[in-house]
Amino acid sequence: MNTITMKRFLFTCKIEFLLMVRNFFGFFFGLIFPLMMLVLFGSIFGNNPVSPGSDLRMMDLSIPGYTVMVMGVAGLMSFPLTLAECKEKKIYKRFDATPVGKKHIILAQVTVNLLLTALGIAILLIAGKLLYQLQIQGDILSVTAAALLSIAAMFSMGFLFTAVGKDAKLTHLLCYLFYFVMLFLSGATVPAMLFPESIRSLSKLLPMTYAVDLMQGVFAGDSLRMHGKELLILGGLCLVFYGIGAYLYAKRDWT
Amino acid sequence: MSQIIVQVEHLHLSYKNVKAVQDVSFSIAEGQVLAVIGANGSGKTSTIECVEGLRKPDSGSVLVFGKEPMLHRGEIYKKIGIQLQETEYPAKIQVEELCRLYAGFYERPADWEGLLLQMNLAEKRKRTVSKLSGGEKQRLSVLLALMGRPKLLILDELTTGLDPEVRQNMWETFRAIRENGVAILLVSHYLDEVEALADRMLYLEKGKQQFFGTQEEFRQWAKARIAPEQLREADTLEKLYLQIVPKTTGITMEGIL
Repeated sequence: MNTITMKRFLFTCKIEFLLMVRNFFGFFFGLIFPLMMLVLFGSIFGNNPVSPGSDLRMMDLSIPGYTVMVMGVAGLMSFPLTLAECKEKKIYKRFDATPVGKKHIILAQVTVNLLLTALGIAILLIAGKLLYQLQIQGDILSVTAAALLSIAAMFSMGFLFTAVGKDAKLTHLLCYLFYFVMLFLSGATVPAMLFPESIRSLSKLLPMTYAVDLMQGVFAGDSLRMHGKELLILGGLCLVFYGIGAYLYAKRDWT
Repeated sequence: MSQIIVQVEHLHLSYKNVKAVQDVSFSIAEGQVLAVIGANGSGKTSTIECVEGLRKPDSGSVLVFGKEPMLHRGEIYKKIGIQLQETEYPAKIQVEELCRLYAGFYERPADWEGLLLQMNLAEKRKRTVSKLSGGEKQRLSVLLALMGRPKLLILDELTTGLDPEVRQNMWETFRAIRENGVAILLVSHYLDEVEALADRMLYLEKGKQQFFGTQEEFRQWAKARIAPEQLREADTLEKLYLQIVPKTTGITMEGIL
C-alpha cells in the first residue's frame, strides 16, 4: 500500500467512523452498553470469589464474557447491518463505479468495526481494573489469539447473515434474533455457572458460548491447549460461515 | 479523426429467461453525445451497465478506451464519470464529506468547491445527504460524476427531478464539457433534452436496437415510419418519437374516480 492509497484508506475509515458515531447504535452498544452491564451486574452479584477459597472472583469471570458481548455487537450487529443497508440501497454499486470499488469501502467498514471492538474491550478492561481490580492471569499472546479467533467467528456469522438475507429486513431479523438469544444464553452477560442445567444444554448449541468459554479460560490463565474444543469449533465455524457466505455472494447478483 | 471511446458490438444480456439486450452495437467518439432512448424496460440501463462494467454481457464485445470494462475496471474508472439511475449515499454523511471522500478516489480530482458553487450546493455543504431534496441529490450525483475530470461521462436520467431552470443550466454545463472533448453517454426519457444535447442516438425497443445514427438521420428514419398525415404534427423530436414508440396500454381512471 503506497502513501496515497494509505491516506485515502485512512480518510475512508475516518468517514466510516463518523457515520458509526452518528448512527449511535454501534457506538452505544459497543462502547457504553457493556460498561453499563459491568456496573449493573457488578452491583447485583458483587465481586466475591466464585467458590470459597478461590482466587477467581465474580468479575474476573464476568468481564471476559462482556468482551464477547462487544465482539458480538461489532460482528453480529454493527458490521452486518451496515453491509446489508449499503447493499440494499445500492450504495456499494456507486462505489463500484469509482477507481477504488466497493472492496475499499467494505474493508474500511470492517476496520472501523474492529476498532470499535478493540475500543470497547479496552474500556471494559480499564473499568474492570479500576472498579473491580480485574485480574488477567493469562499471558497476553493467548488472550490476544483467543480474542482474534472469537472476533473472526462473530464477524463470519454476521457476514453469513448478510449473504443469506436477500434484503436488509431478513439480515436485520437474523442478526437481532441470534445476537440477543446468544447474549443472554451464552454466558456473555450472566455467567453460565448460574444457569440451570436445561439452559446450559441449550447454550452449547450457540457459537458465542464457545467464545465466552475460551475468553474466560484464557483470562483465568488457561493455556490455549486446554481449550482445543473451543478453538476447533470457533475455527471450524469461521471457515463454514465465510465459505457459505462467499459462495452465496459469488452465486447471486448483488450489484 | 476523433478517437473512439466506446465500442459496443453485438451485445446480448439476459436475466434468467428475460432477454434484456439483444444484438446492440454502437460507438461513441470523443466530444460526441450519444443519447440512448426507448420506453421503460427497453434495455437502456442494462446496456449502459455493460459499458460501465457493472454487468457481464452474455456475448458480444464492449470496449471502453480500448479495454474490457469488466477486466480493467480500476484503470477505466479513472477516466469515467458515472451518474447512476438509482443511487443512494450513506444517509448521515454530509455533502462536504462525501465530496472529500470521492475526491480522494482520484489522482487528479476536480475542484469540488467550484463544482459545489456551479451546482448551487455550496450552502448545503454541511447538510447530511438524507436531508437534501430530490433535485439537490440529483445535482450532487452529477457533481460526483464530474469529480475525476472524466473523458467519458455516463449519465442515466440526468435531469429527472430537476426544475426547468436547473435543467437548462445543466444542459449548458454539459455542452461546455463536451466542447472540451469529453464523450457523453446519456440515457433520457426527455426528448427535449436529447434534442438539446445529443448528436447521435440509439433507439431500443424491448432490448432490440432499432436505430443508431445521428439525430438528423433519426428524424429521417422515424418520418419514414409514420403516416404522411401525422408528419405535420411531428414537428419536434418528442412528437416524432411518440409517433413511433410502441403504445402502452391506455391507463384509465374510469371506475376508480
